[in-house]
Amino acid sequence: MTTADPLLATRAISKSFGGLKAVDGVDLELREGEILGVIGPNGAGKTTLFSLIAGSIPPTSGEVLMRGFRVSRRPAHKLVRAGVVRTHQIVRPFPNLTVAENVAVGAIHGMWRATGTPRERAAEVLEFVGLADRALDLPGTLTLAGRKRLELARALATVPLVLMLDEVIAGLNPAEAMRLAALIRRIRDERGVAVIMIEHVMPAVMSLSDRVAVLDHGKKIAEGTPAEVVGNPLVVEAYLGKGHGEARP
Amino acid sequence: MTRWPAIFPPRAAIPFALVVVALALLPVLVGVTPYERNLFTLTFLMISGALAWNWMGGYLGQVSFGHAALFGLGGFVAARLMLHANPTPAPIAWFLGGVAAGIFSLGAHPMLRLRGPYFSIATIGVGEASRLLFTYWEEFTGGASGLSLPIDIGMKALLYWWALGLMALVVVASFLIRRSTLGLQLLAIKADVDAAADVGVNATFYQDLVMVLSGAVVGLTGGLYASFFAFIEPSDMFGFDRSIAFVLMSVIGGVGTILGPVLGAIVFVLLRQFLLASYPQLYLGLYGLLLILIILFEPLGLTGLGLRVARAVRRRRAGARRVVASP
Amino acid sequence: MARFVDLAVSAVLLAGLYATMAYGLGLIYGVLRVVNLAHGGVIMAGAYLGWVLHGWVGLDPYASIPIVVAATFLLGVAMYRVLVRHLPRGAAGGPASLLLLFGVWLVLRNAAYLLFTGNDQVIRTSYSTHAIPLLGSWVSVNRLAVLAIAVVTPALLQLLLRRTYLGRAIRAVAQNADSCTLVGIDVQRIYTITFGIGTALAGLAGLLSATLFSFNPGFGASELLKSFVVVVLGGLGSVLGTGLAALILAVVEVFAILVMPSYLTAAVGFVMLVLVLVLRPGGLFGQRVLG
Repeated sequence: MTTADPLLATRAISKSFGGLKAVDGVDLELREGEILGVIGPNGAGKTTLFSLIAGSIPPTSGEVLMRGFRVSRRPAHKLVRAGVVRTHQIVRPFPNLTVAENVAVGAIHGMWRATGTPRERAAEVLEFVGLADRALDLPGTLTLAGRKRLELARALATVPLVLMLDEVIAGLNPAEAMRLAALIRRIRDERGVAVIMIEHVMPAVMSLSDRVAVLDHGKKIAEGTPAEVVGNPLVVEAYLGKGHGEARP
Repeated sequence: MTRWPAIFPPRAAIPFALVVVALALLPVLVGVTPYERNLFTLTFLMISGALAWNWMGGYLGQVSFGHAALFGLGGFVAARLMLHANPTPAPIAWFLGGVAAGIFSLGAHPMLRLRGPYFSIATIGVGEASRLLFTYWEEFTGGASGLSLPIDIGMKALLYWWALGLMALVVVASFLIRRSTLGLQLLAIKADVDAAADVGVNATFYQDLVMVLSGAVVGLTGGLYASFFAFIEPSDMFGFDRSIAFVLMSVIGGVGTILGPVLGAIVFVLLRQFLLASYPQLYLGLYGLLLILIILFEPLGLTGLGLRVARAVRRRRAGARRVVASP
Repeated sequence: MARFVDLAVSAVLLAGLYATMAYGLGLIYGVLRVVNLAHGGVIMAGAYLGWVLHGWVGLDPYASIPIVVAATFLLGVAMYRVLVRHLPRGAAGGPASLLLLFGVWLVLRNAAYLLFTGNDQVIRTSYSTHAIPLLGSWVSVNRLAVLAIAVVTPALLQLLLRRTYLGRAIRAVAQNADSCTLVGIDVQRIYTITFGIGTALAGLAGLLSATLFSFNPGFGASELLKSFVVVVLGGLGSVLGTGLAALILAVVEVFAILVMPSYLTAAVGFVMLVLVLVLRPGGLFGQRVLG
């Protein structure tokens, strides 16, 4: 392990389901303090990639490394301890617990890297994301935007080094989307958390991300700054189909 | 700053301690007939068992229809130890019965990975398989004729306090679990085991842990039960009706709460006494009906009903106060 | 050798019975995602109904099939409309639906106790003891009849599911109930009918059982578990899988007599259940059944 090792990296990571290769040899790097966007057409394998990194499912081959250490094949809860946490595309709050209790569950596992009781730190995180006034409510009473914030807060309470957001902005109206985007930037700026975000909402990804990786059919087809990626003919082709690669927007 | 619910309600601790002390002194100060004493003892045991089952069924959400296997194992291990040429003193025998049941529960590890109905059905399988196996393992359980323990009048009287002590411990443990970070994680696992793991909850470990604790306590209860009745047989100890009883006590009382299994056990013991005397055939059907009504109308059982009544009373009183206050 | 043939024939016939039992459970689970814990109780009800018809009216059990099937169908419809319908669908309703149907089972059990006492009963007809020679062994007429019915029933079921509008609607609802409302299918009606068919199959299995084995109000627990083994092992929606799984279960059970005392063979079903759930929850053909 050297200081040159990226915070999080995947090396040739692959996942096959039966005969289908959902993720095919993807190399990815995330550096400290970076916001990495992951885009690609539907079915490109983005969520599967997240599940592989977060330990929800084991890879068929390849590695996930944190600062040079292998963390692949560890169960999800161990990865949270290591500092990697993910949110879900379709939010999954614990319906039987209040907002505060939901976040407290995450905070319990942030004890490895922070001080204070779970309840104290849950309160702090709720304040940060703007849900403090809903602490004693049940998730069912929140709007979609509220529930997305809750999911975010719960993940943030684990005091992660890497926060993986799965389409957290999709489905929100423009005002809510902007607020959430600002929150994500604050998370990186104020709390020093590196972020990987899967997103379909292009303006958000392009304005937030330092770098963007593009997946298609399980493979990484492009990587670079938002500007570089947008102009890449392969990327345009992946989204719009063959024949469009030549036309520049 | 936001308000937080109290972590440990000290207000519950004092009345509870008073109740326990009162119950402990009852036979000494007021005096009870042997019949009443036995009823109390049985109730204490059933409360302990129901609360322990509830750790699995109510906190973790894994409904077991096979807890009789653990109850019976604990009972017969304890009985065998007490019947041995070198008889083990009863409390140690009970404890070892609990340990045996706890170890057996470890074997449930692969089953705990099953979701919802699959787990429950697997427990029916384990429960019934245990019953058959132990019924015919004559050297251990005495087969269909069961085991008779030497009747010790003194012990039966003392059991009142042993059972009370066990119940008090189990109630306190239930509170501690419920109000701790452990309890919170159990509820998270119950809601969504995958999402819980995704925020760091070691679901596998906690499921195993609660299973072992639940099994050990139920096994312990079985041991005391053996001493209490001085005669146990496999078809009763390991029977499906016994497993059903655990489910019924918690669900009818209020699954997932602490008051629930307590109420449920009290109702169960009393109802069983009453019905068994006059209408022995009716109690299963009655429980079935109760179960249906509870699932459809009040999932928190008797406790839920009580909460509703309390809320209605509070609202009425607040309304009355408002009427009086306005000029 | 004769003993082997004996056992093999026994296994095939038993498999037929198990398959019939399993279809009912599997259909309800496949379409409604509800485990009918009252399945055993309905099997028991079918047995008693056939016994009553035989005892009071003198109706031959095989002739009473339409009546028993209709009656248990209506029972299922009532169970759905009055009770199950009110539960939340899917995973949320999980423990609730288990407990609700368990309550129904208890009620059925108790009703049987009150009406018929707890004594063992069996349907004994004039031809109960008749047997015909087959493959060097004697096979009872009853068992052959049960096998015949067990072969015809899934064939009819398949016909229903593949060739009729109702069947296609059922399959559509099983796949995606929400989309079905969009195309105008009355999902609640389909659920009701499916539940009824499921219980009807259970009732039929109960009736057939009654001609072969003795039963009492507590009857049905091991039948429930064995049906479950067959459903999980055979995978949902696969008639071939169900038949194969039933055969495997029956063979294991019957041949277990060779290696263990007879009273333990009843435990075989239970042990298989636990093993199947833990080791091969995806069934023989790897269909996802967990989670």
